[in-house]
Amino acid sequence: MTFLEKQTDPTSPMHWRGDMQADYLYPNGWAGDRFFKNLRDKGTFLATRCPKCSKVLFPARLYCEDCFVEIPENNWIEVPTSGIVRLYTFAKLDAHWEPLEKPRCMALIDIEGTDGSILGVLDVEETDEDLTGLPVEALLRPVKEREGTMKDIVCFKPSV
Amino acid sequence: MKDVAVIGAGMTVFRRRMLETGKELSFLATKMAMEEAGIEKKDIDMVVMGSAPDAFDGIHMKGENLSDGAAGTGKPYVRVFNGGGTGVFAPIAGWWHVASGAADIALVVCEEKMGSCYPHPQTAFRHIWDPILDRPLNPNLVWLFAMEMNRYMSVYNIKKEDIARVAVKNKRNAVGHPCAQIPDEKITIEDVLNSEVMAWPVQRLDISPPSDGASALIFCSADKVRQFTDDPVFVSGVGWNIDSTMWTNRDLYFPQYVANAAKMAYKMAHINNPRKEIDFAEPYDPFDYKELHHMEGLLLCKKGEAPILTREGVTERDGDMPMCPSGGLMGVGNPIAATMGQKVCELYWQLAGKAGKRQIPGDPRIGVGQAWGDIMQMGTVIVMRRG
Amino acid sequence: MTGNDEMVPKDPRGTHVGNKDIYGRKITYSWWEPEVQYNWALGPAMSRFLEELKKGSIVGRKCRKCRRILVPPRMFCERCYNPTDEWVKIEDTGTIETFSISYIDSDARKIKDPIFIGVISLDGASPKHGIMHYFGEVKADEIHIGMRVKAVWKHVSERTGAITDIKYFKPLKKGGGKK
Repeated sequence: MTFLEKQTDPTSPMHWRGDMQADYLYPNGWAGDRFFKNLRDKGTFLATRCPKCSKVLFPARLYCEDCFVEIPENNWIEVPTSGIVRLYTFAKLDAHWEPLEKPRCMALIDIEGTDGSILGVLDVEETDEDLTGLPVEALLRPVKEREGTMKDIVCFKPSV
Repeated sequence: MKDVAVIGAGMTVFRRRMLETGKELSFLATKMAMEEAGIEKKDIDMVVMGSAPDAFDGIHMKGENLSDGAAGTGKPYVRVFNGGGTGVFAPIAGWWHVASGAADIALVVCEEKMGSCYPHPQTAFRHIWDPILDRPLNPNLVWLFAMEMNRYMSVYNIKKEDIARVAVKNKRNAVGHPCAQIPDEKITIEDVLNSEVMAWPVQRLDISPPSDGASALIFCSADKVRQFTDDPVFVSGVGWNIDSTMWTNRDLYFPQYVANAAKMAYKMAHINNPRKEIDFAEPYDPFDYKELHHMEGLLLCKKGEAPILTREGVTERDGDMPMCPSGGLMGVGNPIAATMGQKVCELYWQLAGKAGKRQIPGDPRIGVGQAWGDIMQMGTVIVMRRG
Repeated sequence: MTGNDEMVPKDPRGTHVGNKDIYGRKITYSWWEPEVQYNWALGPAMSRFLEELKKGSIVGRKCRKCRRILVPPRMFCERCYNPTDEWVKIEDTGTIETFSISYIDSDARKIKDPIFIGVISLDGASPKHGIMHYFGEVKADEIHIGMRVKAVWKHVSERTGAITDIKYFKPLKKGGGKK
């Protein structure tokens, strides 16, 4: 059986190294562009109310995926940059599996006045305490440094 | 097996780069198809998403990412994918969802967002080459087509102007298409022959442009179709076939895999003499020579005869056998999978007599659409007829 | 029937974004540079093939059922769907099956000196069986399908066990013979 044929030379090449290099530019989208421009310029969050099921979709979007209807212009609403912690974890490794200097709290925040949520860094020390339901507020970068991306949200801080 | 009819089609405009996300493009195309069919999301039983390599959109496993824009949330949903063949393969998958009896109404959405990939969508194409044998040579995908085109031209002694004629025809046909990216009423053969050489014999105007876009189709089983239309268009045959990945072991002058796929589809459609029975076709035309290559693969003429028929005007919109009346990829644009809009939606619009400015004269009854992909090895074919 | 002047589909949507919109920051966007590395397994056929290239020779595999001699070599014949049977030495000469002269690089950027590229069917392999490679020492008005060519190898000290151990293929006869 030739599949079992031995390598002629144990030091022979067995693997080939390479990458799949390409860079990406993602436009934030029709609704996303409006959401992020508003975040950049006004420092507030935008959401959209579905005309059919009345769900307040956050971040704002072009359509309601459940009802599959388009959001009319006057259903765009401004909502507070605050919310409560729904889910969280303390990360000890970064994206490359390297240890972080100190554990970082990643949390899913339910945004106030909406049916949606957003992932962010929660600015708290590691604790055994249950943080679920903790009221938090977004900390944004100074106006001049904002660029209209998720990076404009530095983190969420517990509300005072 | 149930008969399957089309009850709606939709398409976004095709452009080099668009503001809308892939989800949003999918929504816009789907919504248009739903409005034509007069149905809502709740009426759809199953959804098929067609999208080519993740490396264009730059979202890994983009099928899942696109699902909410494709009305897939909460429904049986699947993404199908065979490179450039996807634009016809996705509707084939939609067809079997309904033909099998699993769904009464199936939605097919195709999306591509090539503008995300930098510095050029060609960069993503680098990764489809064999990493050991081909990639160390720093290939560009255009090389493949240049080599295939050269082989095709040499075997039949075809002149470049006879190939350029296809680019001219399709870019002119596209003038009647509201989604078209590069329609051109005034383009001439000289313009094509004088355009910049990319990889000889391929010049800039021999190539369709990369695009962002989406298209959608809604299929319905024959026993339910009368509630939507009195004049349905049916899918009468489908076929698909793949050749060896070892492309340096194949003679590229003839796409045998397209012929195999066409034979499968024609058998199902009870077509014995495709040249006589088929009224028009939408062969896949990412390059102008591919329309000729595929006309031959689809057995719509003899081998080597496609350039001659094109020169004689047979493939013009008002000719005996119109090719790419939509304007094809050469004129409307090439968002890989979303070219379902030209290759399958167009069959529906033409056969239903709804093509408006692009309508083929003479009451066409049977049309064939085809796509092509992977490393010059995948053929996908669909035959449609008026009920 | 739709009126002849109507544009179908009616009022398609989508918002074009040009370079000016991006570089002028008219739209917001996110930028990402993925970093991921791969280590592809070569398998026995490709390992041996590259090993032989390092020695300055080309090898193929023979399928005894269909009698094809396969280059690039593989441990199975995709046609017969059987394991292949033996190693066969292949010549480093062959015939141009098709070619292109490229004025763009792999990112579609223009280049000044064109790249001559094509498929060479190799002597000793089955008809039409070969590999893709560069051509050198040949002019644009000389190269043609059917031209006989021979591999030009890197010096043995520079070879790494890669397809690029062959620098390019050059015409067997000076001037390349007539078209």
